[in-house]
Amino acid sequence: MIRDHRFVKDFTFVSFSPQFFFRILVFSTVWFVLTGSDISSWIVGVPAVLIASKLNLMLAPSSHYSISLSGALRFVPFFLNQSFRGGIDVMRRALSAKQLLNPGLVSYVTLLPEGSARIFFVNTISLLPGTLSAELHGNQVTIHTLDRGLPIWANIQNLEYHVAALIHISSDKKKSL
Amino acid sequence: MEILYNSGTLLIILGLPFFLSGTVGLIRFPDIYTRLHALTKADNVGLGCIVCGLALQSASWAVTAKLLLIWLLVLIASSASCHLIARSAMQKNIQPWTRP
Repeated sequence: MIRDHRFVKDFTFVSFSPQFFFRILVFSTVWFVLTGSDISSWIVGVPAVLIASKLNLMLAPSSHYSISLSGALRFVPFFLNQSFRGGIDVMRRALSAKQLLNPGLVSYVTLLPEGSARIFFVNTISLLPGTLSAELHGNQVTIHTLDRGLPIWANIQNLEYHVAALIHISSDKKKSL
Repeated sequence: MEILYNSGTLLIILGLPFFLSGTVGLIRFPDIYTRLHALTKADNVGLGCIVCGLALQSASWAVTAKLLLIWLLVLIASSASCHLIARSAMQKNIQPWTRP
């Protein structure tokens, strides 16, 4: 019920907040890069950008942390390296003549704050070698793994650390990771 | 420019086995969860290689930005839908396949 109430209140387009304009700017850039200089594409683009901005504002209201540039610069090579290794790992298991699978479920409790950071973390788990996030309940993530012999805990803790470095959260929280 | 073009071709060829193994995994792996692994991971890397290869061949910043953005959007869509499919399978109580 509370949700419904917020939905109605937010959909009135009354509040043109700075966050709303920022989202319009971001989604317009996305549209521009995808469609190029074709002016007539904005017939679809303008409504799409407006709807996307409004939906984004409703589903993910302002986040309480900002993205750290140095964290992002370290995250990109980490992410590329991990996802490449994930691809190689799947290739090896898919093409091998022997059955190399030993799947299982692992539970992990994350210390990341609720919201975008946690969602981002859960989504990137699926791109690490051999792990896939199957469920998220509060701060508990259920992870499916292709091989129970892999160092899953160490890999996920490493990912969690990188996600924490990506956002500005208090340093004592970061230390406890 | 010849070097750029040829290294682009090399990257595109490098991407193909990833797509192949994603599809082989989809057919060979035993259950829904393991198949999701195959599709998301292998195809993302395959697409990444092909996107980088095409970007090198295009020799245009606008096309490069567009290709990288497409890759990013596919990454977001595939990891989110992968999580949603796995979650719905968990909620339907589908037990993961385990080694006998």
